[in-house]
Amino acid sequence: GDSETEEESDYDEQEDNVAAETAVQTAASRYYTRDSSDSEDSERQGRVIRRIKDKRFDEMTATVDHMKNAMKINDWVSLQENFEKINKQLGKVMRVTEADRPPNIYIRSLVMLEEFLNQSLANKEAKKKMSSTNAKALNSMKQKLKKNNRLYEDLIVQCMEKPELFEDQGEDEKEPEEEEEEEEVVEDDFDDASEPGEDEEDEEEEGDDGAETGPGWEKMLSKKDKMLDKQFKDASQITWDIVNKKFKEIVAARGKKGTGRIELVEQLTFLTRVARTPAQKLEILFSVVSAQFDVNPSLIGHMPINVWKQCVQNLLTILDILTQYPNIVVDDTVEPDENETQKGAGYSGSIKIWGNLVAFLERIDVEYFKSLQVIDPHTHEYVDRLKDEPLFLVLAQDVQEYLENIGDYKGASKIALKRVELVYYKPQGVYGAMKNLAAQEENEEGNSTEVSKPEQITKAPSAYVATPELVARKPTFPESSRALMDDLVSLIYKFGDERTKARAMLCDIYHHAILDDFSTSRDLLLMSHLQENVQHMDISTQILFNRAMAQLGLCAFRVGLVAESHSCLAELYSVGRVKELLAQGISQSRYHEKTPEQERLERRRQMPYHMHINLELLEAVHLTAAMLLEVPNMAANVHDAKRKVISKNFRRLLEVSERQTYIGPPENVRDHVMAATVALRQGDFEKAFAVIESLDVWRLLQHKDDVLKMLKAKIKEEALRTYLFTYSYSYDSVSLEHLSKMFDLLESQTHSIVSRMMINEELHASWDQPTGCVVFHDVEHTRLQGLAFQLSEKLAILAETNERAMEARFGTGGLEGLPLRRKDGYDYAASGGGRWQDLSFPQDRQGGQVARRGYNAGGGGGGRVSSSSSSGANNRRGGSSAGRNFGTQMDGSTNRMGMVYLNRG
Amino acid sequence: MASDYDLTQRIAAHLDRHMVFPLLQWLQERGLYPEEDILKAKIELLNATNMVDYAVDMHKALYHTEEVSQEMVERRAQVVARMKQLEDAASPITKFLQNPNATQELRNDKQYSLQLLHDKYQIGPEQIEALYHCGKFQFECGNYTTAADYLYQYRTFCTNPEKSLTALWGKLAAEILMKHWDIALEELNRLKEIIDSKSFSSPLNQVQSRIWLMHWSLFVFFNHDNGKTLIIDLFNQDKYLNAIQTNAPHLLRYLAAAFVVNKRKRPQFKEFIKVIQQEAYSSKDPITEFLACVFVNYDFDGAHKKMRECEEVILNDPFLGMRVGEGSFTTVPLRDEFLENARLFIFETYCRIHQRIEMRVLAEKLNLKFEEAEAWIVNLIRTSKLDAKIDSKTGTVTMEPHHVDVYEQLIDHTKTLSNRTYKLVSQLLEHGQPQAIR
Repeated sequence: GDSETEEESDYDEQEDNVAAETAVQTAASRYYTRDSSDSEDSERQGRVIRRIKDKRFDEMTATVDHMKNAMKINDWVSLQENFEKINKQLGKVMRVTEADRPPNIYIRSLVMLEEFLNQSLANKEAKKKMSSTNAKALNSMKQKLKKNNRLYEDLIVQCMEKPELFEDQGEDEKEPEEEEEEEEVVEDDFDDASEPGEDEEDEEEEGDDGAETGPGWEKMLSKKDKMLDKQFKDASQITWDIVNKKFKEIVAARGKKGTGRIELVEQLTFLTRVARTPAQKLEILFSVVSAQFDVNPSLIGHMPINVWKQCVQNLLTILDILTQYPNIVVDDTVEPDENETQKGAGYSGSIKIWGNLVAFLERIDVEYFKSLQVIDPHTHEYVDRLKDEPLFLVLAQDVQEYLENIGDYKGASKIALKRVELVYYKPQGVYGAMKNLAAQEENEEGNSTEVSKPEQITKAPSAYVATPELVARKPTFPESSRALMDDLVSLIYKFGDERTKARAMLCDIYHHAILDDFSTSRDLLLMSHLQENVQHMDISTQILFNRAMAQLGLCAFRVGLVAESHSCLAELYSVGRVKELLAQGISQSRYHEKTPEQERLERRRQMPYHMHINLELLEAVHLTAAMLLEVPNMAANVHDAKRKVISKNFRRLLEVSERQTYIGPPENVRDHVMAATVALRQGDFEKAFAVIESLDVWRLLQHKDDVLKMLKAKIKEEALRTYLFTYSYSYDSVSLEHLSKMFDLLESQTHSIVSRMMINEELHASWDQPTGCVVFHDVEHTRLQGLAFQLSEKLAILAETNERAMEARFGTGGLEGLPLRRKDGYDYAASGGGRWQDLSFPQDRQGGQVARRGYNAGGGGGGRVSSSSSSGANNRRGGSSAGRNFGTQMDGSTNRMGMVYLNRG
Repeated sequence: MASDYDLTQRIAAHLDRHMVFPLLQWLQERGLYPEEDILKAKIELLNATNMVDYAVDMHKALYHTEEVSQEMVERRAQVVARMKQLEDAASPITKFLQNPNATQELRNDKQYSLQLLHDKYQIGPEQIEALYHCGKFQFECGNYTTAADYLYQYRTFCTNPEKSLTALWGKLAAEILMKHWDIALEELNRLKEIIDSKSFSSPLNQVQSRIWLMHWSLFVFFNHDNGKTLIIDLFNQDKYLNAIQTNAPHLLRYLAAAFVVNKRKRPQFKEFIKVIQQEAYSSKDPITEFLACVFVNYDFDGAHKKMRECEEVILNDPFLGMRVGEGSFTTVPLRDEFLENARLFIFETYCRIHQRIEMRVLAEKLNLKFEEAEAWIVNLIRTSKLDAKIDSKTGTVTMEPHHVDVYEQLIDHTKTLSNRTYKLVSQLLEHGQPQAIR
């Protein structure tokens, strides 16, 4: 309430000041406005005559009078009401007087009440006559009074013994008040005259106020601050004790009902200015920061942005102090000595202050994140908010540097993670923009310092313990985001804890993927074994994992690794809850309703808009990849199409689209891909490509032309393969030249593709070199033979199932005949970290080697499910199992998320 | 151009200082780099060792002067003095070891020997340590024989496993530099055992040790008769392959070359092709690229080109290009072997996908003359490696169509099933029995 308005008025004044200096011409009009405000003020001055303290006391006395009256008529109901009222008033009075004991009038009334109560209780006849409501009130009064009086037992006893003492004191109390009042009058005079001999503290507020708005304005709006000011009137009289006492008082009020949160912050901020020692200032600053965190009480809303900014500034000041006085240690484990902060700037031993920089910084980050979640991304506000990022980054950087200097690498690694999390999703372009923004702001700051100087001058002397700006106020960015990431990530790998490392690893993967560095990012993923462990992590990390997988899939697609791309993305799409898995919006589930609680949790997990991965692009990539893999696959296995399904999702969509009687022109991504599929199945690569190319989302790709070129090549290749699979039965021989021409490929490419198909035994044919023809062999299996093959395969599955059942029952003993897949799966589970190992990650030694095998299989599975099954069924099985492993992980994570809902809901 | 594929720099990082000399010597002979640069590099190397005399010679050769800087003279004096000092410190034990009668008293039991030395000859741990330092110093001075001797002796007395390990490394280096390949191989195996079994302080250390071991072993394997098989045995182990892939992909060249020349390792070869495919992004090497061309991309023209590059690489590689001289006539055995096998690879794969090939084209692809090619193919057919016929009228080779019999395939698929099931059942019974007894 009132403090805010005051702030505004302050702000106005400052503006006025600035305006006065810059624009003299407008003086006349300004004079006019000032006049008007003056007259307003004088009116208000008239109204505000009584001081708040008196008012409160009067109120209390009035209540006591009421009580007396009620006693006379034996009206317990109104007595009870009044009793409650007086208790409320007591709280107010106590706050106003800043006294540590209740006023005498209150004690007297308590004594009076008790006496009367005892009388009434003793008088049984009177009690019987009472109405039922009255009796009830009496009884409850009895209990309440008992409870209440216990608090003031000593005083009551005193009062009973020597009532006169309390009377006297009450009058005594009046006296200083009057004195105070006098003092104030004097001061007001000063103010009006706006003499230079004013007190320091008042200068900036009242100096201006006095001239422009008058003291009354000030008084009414920030009584609290005035009170504080008064207590610290004389700079020379302020001692550490006074400040400390005041500080304790304010802190004690924190969280109590009726304490304005913002008010609290302001009081504390004021205290920082009068703090006697750096340590004390620091201690108070810490409280300011925590008070600022309290400003927004709800979990869903975010901290007001201006408070957030102040908070960041406060933390920077804290760092300034800490850098200036390296002997001050911040620690949140030990309860510091009461008078620790008494030690002055000259004290050379270590001073311990309670506080936790890491926690503060993390909280700041959370608030920033939340604000971005809440603000509508399509507004300027959002953009403005994004511009605050460098501010946070600089703070994080400073904190990290400080922590590194004092050797707290664990904390530093946590901070580093926060920085990583702000950078990892930025491609170089965006990173550059941020860098420029930071640089730009610096320039602007340079220009604006001159304007804002006067303000700083008035403010500067007000702080008793001045802190020069020691730590950097501008973030320093390396040229490339990669360099920054490398720095931070290597620090984290060295010192971070498990979760920090895992998250940093995921961010690292994500970032490598953005930079089209697929192999590195795949290696990191496979060697870190995050796929196995991610189910056991918290949801936010799982989301990060999903995001990293999605980005990895996009990256694989961009560099032309279609199969890898598909295996990364397939699982994300298998459940149809992509939005939810990536935390980019809440998807509606048809089958089960979410409780509001679940929904709220989900909402809190959402990614801010600027971090989103474009879902349309993701879908386009996924479906295109699926198309490229599935179309030749379907052509190769016409007879039992159900057997080898690469993408279930794709098949389902295809079925749906085939069922439609009339197919309109494609509208969304799905329609486009389906139209392309139809063309591709007929070998019409040109049409297929044209349809895919017409998708709008490709514009989001950085190297759109390259990607489309790659895509065209792939489509040609798959069209050729599909064509050969479908029509090879109808030919005896085809010339290479003809094929090349048909699919617009180089002869060498065609040769390579067809050769590969021959080697992999997908195509039963061979080259006739002199004529340059493909000669097809007729090796169709008869129906019986085909069935026999199917039978044998089913037998193999049966045997495998048996073995698995056995394994589940008795554990994995020495089953040597284990099929490759099971072994692989087992290894995955048993192994530690491969690459982590190299990053001096203390892991079981056994892990590395086994890991590599898993890695091999993973790469193979991703890479060559379709292209090389040359090494026979065994290999293919290994491959697809690894592919599936990509999958099961995701599956696990989704299940996990589902489970979490249930648990919490 | 040729120096593009030179690995000396990458390999040298994992070698002992002294072992780099042979490599530099090799480079000097091949003339890939300016002579002066190499001499400078040599002096650089020598400065950190104690081979002062050698350094002086080098200095003279480089600057064509007879003058020797004061610094070097001083250093020489220092080295000699230090050597003397160390020799003195170790003298009790060296004397003891030179006395054949005394050494006979020693037994295989380490504790016993130590006790004996202590009681009878007043040789305590200090002297034994002195032996180690002396050996190390001798090594640094280039007296590899003495160094190897001392270190060997030291290991028989040493109780500290860390020290013992470093002594073993030292011994291996000394043996390699003396070109005692058989002994070196023994030491190598011993070292490998220790590395694999020992619980290292950190896995990182272990990986590093493995990589060192592999680099050092290059000297041994490419000089030892049986080396080309052994190198596959070592490098292709999961643990070592893992280390190669993560930290030293350039070593793939040697493994690939070994695979090409080694016919007996075909099963592993298929796996290795996959590794090559994966690592294609991280290492650009003609030999691995050749394999990729033949077995991954089926690009025979590319393979043909790569083959030429491979030849050059082999000739310039200090390990692969080892010369064998008979009088004035020198050959590079590995090159011939490699080319022969590479040719065979190309041919085999080529034949698999063709039913008729012109001899002329084939000859070209194989880097052979027409007659040579014909003879070569005839030889292959004769040794029944190839199911084909030459049609000399049209000048073509015709492959016999080869189809796997359906029944064979089926039997293949199901053969293992009964075995597996049998195993399963027996295991089930094993598990069942104890429960039944209970």
